[in-house]
Amino acid sequence: MTEPVLVVEGLNVGFPSKAGVVQAVSDVSFELHAGEVLAVVGESGSGKSVTALTLMRLHAKSTRISGRAVFEGRDLLTLSDRDMRSVRGNDIAMIFQDPMTALNPVFSVGSQIIEAIRTHRDVSKQAARARAIELLDLVGVPEPRRRVDQFPHEYSGGMRQRAMIAMAIANEPKVLIADEPTTALDVTVQAQVMEVLRDVQEATGSAMLLITHDLGLVAGTADRVQVMYASRLVETGGVDDIFYGSRNPYTRALLDSIPDLVSDTDRLVPIPGNPPSLLNPPSGCPFRPRCSLASDTCAVSVPDLMTVGEGHATRCHHADRLVTEGAL
Amino acid sequence: MTTLDQSSANALEGLADKPKSFGRLAWERFIHHRLAILGLVGLIVIALGFIVGPMINEYPFDKPDVLSRLQGPSREHWFGTDEIGRDLFVRTARGGRYSLAIGLLSAITATAIGTLIGSVAGYFGRAVDALIAQLINLFLVVPALIVLSVFALNFGSNWWRLAIVLAGLLWVRIARVARGVVLSIKEQEYVMAARAAGASHLRIITRHILPNVVGAVTVEITLLLGSVIVLESTLSFLGLGVRPPDTSLGRLVADAKGNIDNDPLRVLTPGLVIVLIVLCVNFLGDGLRDALDPRARSERGSGDD
Repeated sequence: MTEPVLVVEGLNVGFPSKAGVVQAVSDVSFELHAGEVLAVVGESGSGKSVTALTLMRLHAKSTRISGRAVFEGRDLLTLSDRDMRSVRGNDIAMIFQDPMTALNPVFSVGSQIIEAIRTHRDVSKQAARARAIELLDLVGVPEPRRRVDQFPHEYSGGMRQRAMIAMAIANEPKVLIADEPTTALDVTVQAQVMEVLRDVQEATGSAMLLITHDLGLVAGTADRVQVMYASRLVETGGVDDIFYGSRNPYTRALLDSIPDLVSDTDRLVPIPGNPPSLLNPPSGCPFRPRCSLASDTCAVSVPDLMTVGEGHATRCHHADRLVTEGAL
Repeated sequence: MTTLDQSSANALEGLADKPKSFGRLAWERFIHHRLAILGLVGLIVIALGFIVGPMINEYPFDKPDVLSRLQGPSREHWFGTDEIGRDLFVRTARGGRYSLAIGLLSAITATAIGTLIGSVAGYFGRAVDALIAQLINLFLVVPALIVLSVFALNFGSNWWRLAIVLAGLLWVRIARVARGVVLSIKEQEYVMAARAAGASHLRIITRHILPNVVGAVTVEITLLLGSVIVLESTLSFLGLGVRPPDTSLGRLVADAKGNIDNDPLRVLTPGLVIVLIVLCVNFLGDGLRDALDPRARSERGSGDD
């Protein structure tokens, strides 16, 4: 495999609150390679968005962070504010969840793309404008020469997200972080936007960190998947490892909860219980209270991330049992 | 006009090469707002009347002329004369100039102070915000009229001092609005998105926050201008504003009030001028608010709203 563009090692993120430190991300390590799509999956509050925001250093000042995030030989977490600003939007760009609110209503879409370009590139307004039109065309906005001067409220949701994508890829970033890029969109539009995202990612050869809770989206676009639960990575592997050979009870429960269109079931299969509090996590494995495989050992220690196959690792004391019971 | 027509033709063909700035669009919306144009034209006409009128109708504003006391409106004295024969049109124009000047100066000063302090409070939050919010509350509960009557003893005939004191009392109204807007804008995702794109604090404030504040504050300015003119008139009516022999619109009403039974017109004329000015200013503000609303329709005024 090629040299990774981004290496995250032992990332911990905690938010101090009156009741104590809320540990939102615990000991997260991963590598991101050029040209690949790495999906980070998990339910709300599992730490996936916090991981992304921390990589961009967009967290609140009071946040406690440890670990390393090495990008091109530099640790993003210790860069000066000035250096970080030159990374943001240039080397690493982010696509936000809600395109309705992530565009400034006061300026035309074009001027916002032009601004994104001119923040990092010393080019004339005309050149930046030509580039903006080209970008809008690339992401499939019809009549880009006309629509470049329109305002965000004149764009539909899907078009706005395309504009956001255009803005994000304006400087051909090496890493693209997409934080639930299709959550705010209609289902039909979701597919189109994902296609655009995948296309531009392939065209620019950048690496993409796709944060989502939509497993359908993951199956269609990701190369590798990381599942997060209660601030930790619980399983990581290739997309087939996760979908067809998962060795983690949480991942399996997550997959089981997807409604099956083929078999005629009346009820959805939920995961019983709630995610644990990150303020006072239970002893041992955080998934223990909800897990059908839980045993006494699970209450004693948090399982390590064990390698169970090539590029496939899971965090479960009973990973062995999941091979034999594997009835997927 | 030709450039405008050209660009509209280009836009129709989807060939517009010049990006239309927000200011340009706002201007296009503004000129199609009938009431706003009426207000603007009204204000210009009134101001010109105050400046040019006395050049045509040349009477001194302060020299008594006992031979022509208490006259009604006539060709010589357009608004009539007062008890000691001074021409009331000339006096109304002079008083009106003071009222407008005081109104404009204090509204602009109050806006500058208020926007700055309010935005700082809103953007930086925490302790700074708490302090400024308390300060704003303090100013809001202080009755302006009482403070002004205390200060009035030192005004002399300096109209601009009066304007500055008024601004010193009224900036809180702008600050409150600016703070509120900034508080909500800075939490918007596009501010986060701008940071994610590598924008600096200064760029975020000037590009993403202030333009959103402008609309709300502009409306507040026009409301403020109206209330400054009324407040100044009230002060002068109470004998605390502009000192005789000089005059202002409020003082003219005050001077005439003793004789209101015999000569109601003398009270009504300056009163009506005050009402007209305030009305025009409010129309103007209304139009500006609609024009500066970033979410407003951007099509060029094909019709009225």
